[in-house]
Amino acid sequence: MPRYRNALFVAAALWACSAVSAAALDEPEARRFLAQASFGPTEASTQGLMAIGKAAWLQQQFALPASDYTGLPYVDANSKVGCPAGALPTCKRDNYSLFPLQRQFFQNALNGPDQLRQRIALALSEILVVSGQQIKLPYAMANYERIFLANAFGNFRNVLHEVTLSPAMGKFLNMANNDKPNLTKGIEPNENYAREVLQLFSIGLWQLKLDGTPKLDSRGQPIPSYDQQAVEGFAHVFTGWTYPARPGGSNRFPNPANFSGPMVAFAAHHDLGAKRLLNGVTLPAGQSAEVDLEAAVDNIFNHPNVGPFVGRQLIQQFVTANPSPAYVARVAAAFNGSSGAARGDMKALLGAILLDPEASNPAAPQRFGKLREPILQLTHLFRALGGVSDGVWLRAQASALGQPIFSPASVFNFFPPDYDLPDDPSLDGPAFGVFNAGTAFKLSAVLATALDGQGVVADLSVVGSVGSKIDLTRWQTLAVDPTALVSEIDRVLFAGRSSVPLRQALLKAAQIAPASRPLDRAKAALFLAVMSPEYLVEN
Amino acid sequence: MRPRTTTRRQFLGSAAALAATGPLVPGFAAPLLGSDYRALVCIFLYGGNDGNNMVVPLDSASYAAYAKARGNPGAGGLALTQSSLAPLNGSSLGLHGALAPLAEVWNQGHLAVQANVGTLVRPLSKLEFGAGGAAVPGNLFSHSDQQSQWQQGGSGLAHSTGWGGRIADLQARAAVPAVISVSGNSVFINGAATDGLALSSSGGFAVKGFGGNPARNPLYSLYTSLLQLPYANAEQRAAATVLNQGLRASELLNKALSASSSVAGLFAGQSNSLARQLLAVAKMLEAHTSLGVNRQIFFVSIGGFDTHNDQLSQQGGLFGQLGPALKSFHDATLQLGLGSQVTSFTASDFARTLQPASGGGTDHAWGNHQFVLGGAVKGGLYGRMPQFALGGPDDVSSEGRWLPSTASDQMSATLAAWIGVSAGDMAGLFPNLANFAQPNLGYFG
Repeated sequence: MPRYRNALFVAAALWACSAVSAAALDEPEARRFLAQASFGPTEASTQGLMAIGKAAWLQQQFALPASDYTGLPYVDANSKVGCPAGALPTCKRDNYSLFPLQRQFFQNALNGPDQLRQRIALALSEILVVSGQQIKLPYAMANYERIFLANAFGNFRNVLHEVTLSPAMGKFLNMANNDKPNLTKGIEPNENYAREVLQLFSIGLWQLKLDGTPKLDSRGQPIPSYDQQAVEGFAHVFTGWTYPARPGGSNRFPNPANFSGPMVAFAAHHDLGAKRLLNGVTLPAGQSAEVDLEAAVDNIFNHPNVGPFVGRQLIQQFVTANPSPAYVARVAAAFNGSSGAARGDMKALLGAILLDPEASNPAAPQRFGKLREPILQLTHLFRALGGVSDGVWLRAQASALGQPIFSPASVFNFFPPDYDLPDDPSLDGPAFGVFNAGTAFKLSAVLATALDGQGVVADLSVVGSVGSKIDLTRWQTLAVDPTALVSEIDRVLFAGRSSVPLRQALLKAAQIAPASRPLDRAKAALFLAVMSPEYLVEN
Repeated sequence: MRPRTTTRRQFLGSAAALAATGPLVPGFAAPLLGSDYRALVCIFLYGGNDGNNMVVPLDSASYAAYAKARGNPGAGGLALTQSSLAPLNGSSLGLHGALAPLAEVWNQGHLAVQANVGTLVRPLSKLEFGAGGAAVPGNLFSHSDQQSQWQQGGSGLAHSTGWGGRIADLQARAAVPAVISVSGNSVFINGAATDGLALSSSGGFAVKGFGGNPARNPLYSLYTSLLQLPYANAEQRAAATVLNQGLRASELLNKALSASSSVAGLFAGQSNSLARQLLAVAKMLEAHTSLGVNRQIFFVSIGGFDTHNDQLSQQGGLFGQLGPALKSFHDATLQLGLGSQVTSFTASDFARTLQPASGGGTDHAWGNHQFVLGGAVKGGLYGRMPQFALGGPDDVSSEGRWLPSTASDQMSATLAAWIGVSAGDMAGLFPNLANFAQPNLGYFG
């Protein structure tokens, strides 16, 4: 679809910026940028970015292929078929739970060169949610996550289209096998996907201005962006689709569960009436399931809310929980094609988010930044300190901290984008939705283990397992000189921006143990550092 | 992303000042009305529980209408068979079979069923709803909005505060947060001046990494000093607030939660999350004298009620957790001698359509049935069951979406009065309550 491709123009615009930013990029700025755009800075990625600048780094990332999920073949939906009596004890874990997928997610996040692709895929998976609580087959969820990896730098219209026809989404929100009305049985089309694709995946509840703030009516009230009739219109559009036929199986409505390839339509099960959608559009009666679906995706994709609604949430994922309306407007304009790229171009969108002046030089630093969500707390720590992990321990810790990867409690994700900041509900604090005294105490246990210098041993039931370990040898050596230790902690964990009181506290922490115990000195200073509000919140 | 008010923000200065000097454990140090110990327990059924299959009429005319609209389970329908229901003595109602343990509580006289209760701004007729222009709760049928409105105690409020949290605010003038969630963060527990405490349902409640006795660890004292710094950055300040709140409460609560419990045996064989949450609440009830608090509000939850498909099996499984866990919890309060001092109640996003949707499930609806139970509760049916007619007088659509005949705020206000909120404070707690003729539904004798 050439109308969604205009990479050349975007590339030219980004290269033009790079001439300015490459020269000015010092290490603190590079590390701050990599906290926003990747799973955290490493020594190598910091040096790499400083050498070429932000815009060229983006181009490099756009060109890298996806680190994929591997070794997850199709299995029968029935675990008794896939793991018959006598199968390995790990058969169910590896084929009927998200364990292998979550583990590989951490491997890719820690080691994959395609950092930006993996980050945007994670971000999209937290907006267009399918949960492993219902879709427990890892091959099915891998196919779903591949939509985001493949379209990371494509067009949002394709994301919406592929998600709509994904059998994982079809099962999760009941579009698979959604039948036309049956008057005899008294059964109506299922409204689940119709409602949530509007409320959560594309336009939201309220009509928005370009800057993401709600439009108001003459009485000063926000204006709903759709009504129950529109939900029912889309519910009727989304009838007649079922799982793709199983390999070698017959093709009928309904097909049994199969999560390879897009869903397929059956004309006899598609409602042929007229359907009222958004913005006064009514689809005429008599259209096929396929024609109705393309028109419905276009109807949603072209709604003016999509740019500000999706754009603001992506800014929150990458940069700051409370972007200024002007920042949102610039990003939404980029989504709408202000740079000359097609509407929905993901490269233009990401460039606008990550290269915006507010991302590196906020006008209101007191409300800038965000609590790192648990996944990013863990990846930032391991990448900054050169930790190694096979993902086994990390996936379990993310779950304990309220973020089981790809498996939130509901379609509303682990936390809502407008979760009120404790202490100041006029601000958003999305990740605070899973941060409370209980999870904070768990975090203290996780960080204490990560920094104990021992590591977590390999899981012998996992092929190639190496465990998880942050080697503290280097820090032990540094701790002979507490001042040098604190400087290095400041450089690596705080991008050179820790406060004076924090550095003073770290210096004291580094001197609690006697000089004869440098490892204890290093551990104390590192643990205090990562438990500090300045580390938990990146800004 | 949404309109906000600054109501909550204005209270924060005083809350911070109180936090430094108030009691260690959330609770009403200076009580609401009354000096005895009382606790309220909110059991939130996330996803929108289908009340139509929770409480079913057994009289032949109503059951026939119910069964016709719900359809034959053999053909994608959802009607429960009459014989599978657990009858409620002295009434013409039955509970879903998996809730039979709660029918025992009814038969003991301590379970109230509140029929067709939902979010309302003021009493509403079907005619007024259809005509438009009348005050109607915002974003009906949206999970997040309807969850918030139930928990807030009012439609059209800034959605940052819940009525549980605002009850704590009434005490915050003299104390600190009073609400504990054993089920993560929720609107319900946050007040304007205070934030509720959220803890885990398993294990203790203590910070790690500072040795066995943090109080004697110099690293811990460096850490607590760090948390007291005046952070200019709002997100950093918020993180420090959450950590400080936890550390203040942890010593006493950790003791209560880590202790072995005399009532743990009542939950034997139940390993699901709701049972663990209710056991944790029971442990805190057991320890209430050592916590030095006399009024508490707890929040627990169970998810999965968004049954758009395969409802018979999914809801049956969830009720199979809810029924036994809630009965065990009620028995625990009796064993602890607190039967008449603890009241539990259910709440949920919304009900579900009486008419099935494709896939053996149901879609989002409105008025729903809820439970209120405890030794102080005068059991029985409250309110009026809807007429099971698609497009009929109680249906605001043609799929069986009940117009509530009782407001969720009336139900909540009745519970708030029992925990000790004075009539004078009630209007501030539930701004729309004055629109309804009956501010107290009389669940308590």
